[in-house]
Amino acid sequence: MANLVEEFAEFRKSRVWRSVFRAGSGQSNLHRSLAVQQNVFLHLAAVKVRRRALEFGVTWYLGTLSLACFLILTVTGILLMLYYHPSVPQAYADMKDLQFVVSAGVFLRNLHRWSAHAMVLLVFAHLFKVFYRGAYRPPREFNWVIGVILLMITLFLSYTGYLLPWDQLAFWAITVGSNILAAVPLLGAKIRFLILGGHTVNANALLRFYVLHCVILPLIAALFVAVHFWRIRKDGGLYTGEKSDD
Amino acid sequence: MRERIRSAYHTLFGASARAFGTLSVVLLVVLAVVPARDHLREWLHYQNEYLNLIRNRSDGLSLARRFQGGVQQIWLPELGVVDRCATCHIALKEASLAGVGPQPFLPHPPIPHSLTEFGCVMCHRGQGAATTVEEAHRSTLAWEQPILPARYIESSCGECHERPLTGTPQLGAGRAMLARYGCVHCHKLTSPESRTVAGTDDPPPLKHIAAKTTREWIFAWIKNPQAYAATATMPNFQLSDDDARDISAFLIGQSTPYTTEAIKVPPVPATDDAAALQQGSSTYGESFCASCHAMQNAAGLLVGGDLGPELTRIGSKVRPEWLAEWIRDPKTYDPDTRMPHFRFEAKDIGLIMGFLESKTDSDFLANVHLSAATPSQITHGKQLVVERGCAVCHDINGVAHQENFAPDLTAVGSLPLSKIIFLPGMPHTLPDYIAAKIRKPRSFGNALKMPQFTLSDAQVDALVTALLAQTSRGKTLPPALRIPAPEPSTYQPAGRAGQLMNDLRCFSCHTINGRGGDMAPDLSWEGTSVQRSWLVKFLKAPNTLRPALIRRMPKFNLSDEEANVLADYILTVYQTPAFDRDQIGASKFTSGDAAHGKDLYYGKYACNSCHILDPNKDKGYIGPTLTQVGLRLNAAWIFRWLKNAQALRPGSLELNWNMNDDDARAITAFLMQPKAPPQQGASK
Repeated sequence: MANLVEEFAEFRKSRVWRSVFRAGSGQSNLHRSLAVQQNVFLHLAAVKVRRRALEFGVTWYLGTLSLACFLILTVTGILLMLYYHPSVPQAYADMKDLQFVVSAGVFLRNLHRWSAHAMVLLVFAHLFKVFYRGAYRPPREFNWVIGVILLMITLFLSYTGYLLPWDQLAFWAITVGSNILAAVPLLGAKIRFLILGGHTVNANALLRFYVLHCVILPLIAALFVAVHFWRIRKDGGLYTGEKSDD
Repeated sequence: MRERIRSAYHTLFGASARAFGTLSVVLLVVLAVVPARDHLREWLHYQNEYLNLIRNRSDGLSLARRFQGGVQQIWLPELGVVDRCATCHIALKEASLAGVGPQPFLPHPPIPHSLTEFGCVMCHRGQGAATTVEEAHRSTLAWEQPILPARYIESSCGECHERPLTGTPQLGAGRAMLARYGCVHCHKLTSPESRTVAGTDDPPPLKHIAAKTTREWIFAWIKNPQAYAATATMPNFQLSDDDARDISAFLIGQSTPYTTEAIKVPPVPATDDAAALQQGSSTYGESFCASCHAMQNAAGLLVGGDLGPELTRIGSKVRPEWLAEWIRDPKTYDPDTRMPHFRFEAKDIGLIMGFLESKTDSDFLANVHLSAATPSQITHGKQLVVERGCAVCHDINGVAHQENFAPDLTAVGSLPLSKIIFLPGMPHTLPDYIAAKIRKPRSFGNALKMPQFTLSDAQVDALVTALLAQTSRGKTLPPALRIPAPEPSTYQPAGRAGQLMNDLRCFSCHTINGRGGDMAPDLSWEGTSVQRSWLVKFLKAPNTLRPALIRRMPKFNLSDEEANVLADYILTVYQTPAFDRDQIGASKFTSGDAAHGKDLYYGKYACNSCHILDPNKDKGYIGPTLTQVGLRLNAAWIFRWLKNAQALRPGSLELNWNMNDDDARAITAFLMQPKAPPQQGASK
């Protein structure tokens, strides 16, 4: 065992390892912060976290839970995409296949659906928590704006996903929703035409909503989530209600 | 309580290790439950039950070998069919299990289509993709279309088959009723070929109604047509006394006189002149009026055809002078009537009139007392006639013909349940809704205009079946599957013969070149089949060819000249293109041929099982009598008939003998051989 540890320590000095992890090893604060900053995945996280910020009572983990929902939705969404065709005669038949013949298809779909509901709920709860605790105040005002944008994206994801089962509920919900859009002064009808790819909810609308739901909105969401996390770090870590140390 | 929750929370999530442990257990449970539930689906239970069912059967091994576990589906992309019914209905093709197990283990009854070519929901409706009992059969939140009840199953045949089918009597009856009971006058029914279904009833024009009958009779009739004649196709409009009074006032008021040829009819015999009545009854019978008109006999049973109106109470209805002119030539009153122009002598008209006038029912008009109509009543009557849509069926002076009076029923079989307003307490299914609408239209609201029909349960079922066949799917099916109804023919024979055939209304009963009725044989190739001398005789004095038939051709009292014109035309024009009528000369047969034919007739082919050749000996009552066949038919026709009767008359009961030329020739020779001289009184 000791041998193995030694060998690993030796391997970390090798050129291959050094080409990937460039910060080098060491126990100093500099080494630790370099290890985080120079890693694309880790650099979003804080180098140092206050112990208090990790307590449940401070955040209720609402942000983390929203992220967890997002990850579950991504994984189940990708699996659902394996069975789903965004075409008019096929979309509803694919729902039926998921329900009746796909292994664990009902579980998959329900997991996606309930996670989506939970995510909307959690994101709202997150917003209220931040608002009532005053965590939006400077220097976090920019991150508050990012958060509101993320809320909008969450709602759009939810809305676009609603059409995809292509049942009566979906059809009429989107019909009503797009008619609300059409009430926008001057540009209303144009916006609806742009969203639906036509004047009524039809094959084009289904395809557009599918692309928005599966490609465009998730990518934008991922981008803003990254900015959101990065800003948390830049704004002095999670808001704990205490005076910051620096 | 609060304490307990807190301690439970602490136990489960108190430290990060505990929280991790708890969540891991939850995940583990989920990972165990999901695949288990996924595996133990409802259909697995049915497949296990099936295996239990066949285990101890003698053919169990071969049944088990043909059994396939798992989800079974029929996938037909071009029809949009994904049917998984066979997952539980395992034995659909196992004829040996008929009547053995409960459903879902019964085999499918034999049908002309392959199950794997059409799937299940094409005929049965329901949700084919489903693999649970509830979802597959019933109307659920996520699927509207439930299974079609078995008693309406013939409707599904009608989605593709527009031609009449022998295997679907209920559908055929329903379609005939839609046309016969006037449904299609108010409701439009369009075939996928964009042809509108036409009515086969013959609503009389009312433009000269005052000449035909009285205001009292109209009043009683429109109050309740079935009280006058049980077979009346006019429905009951549930009119109030005042409304019926005003409509009858308007109808009499709008009536105009019509031009008649004044004829001298001998005085109608008095109703108590038994001998004259008997004579009239005989003339009525000999003219075969009963081929089209029914009448109740002494036992109260209806006897006669249904092409014309029932005559049980005719004496209470029509005016004598109208009746005389009608019997002489119906076309002067109604140019579109289906009744032929009989060439009756004045004496016969009088006799028939006497007989018909005696057919009265004093009860029918006993309680009708109308005072003279006022102008306001007439105006109100006209308004009612427009509102109730009388002019949809009848020609009425001053009221325009009304189009699209009632909802279009072309796609009523696909009507979404969400668009139907059901009555409280009725089952929410389409067949139940249609049946309730037909049974009692006004139960859906007193303001509705649809009248009340008098129909038996079987008739309602037939109508529902025919209406369920009217789906929107007709247009989306592959054209190769559709069997459209034949194009309606506008065939019209030419010249003097054509005029005669119109005058005699041949097309009311006979079909020629695609046009006409189905009561009597198709005459398109009649000229190839019969000999001229027989035809002339037959036209002048028709006799029935089949002993078992009750419907007979009327005697039109044709002159020699008329009979010859018709015979010439039929012989010249109505020929099959397939062969030459004079191809086989009867004179070339030898007596040896005929003797050999006789052996074959009574021996090898046993023709006497169905046909009578020698009235003293033969007992066949199915096919036509052949005593005079050598004088009636041409040798070439008999020869071809023996070889393949179906090619000459599709649907004939005659078997397809596929006879070789020698046998057919010998039997033809035997049948053409002169028999005993024609019996006297052959016109019976």
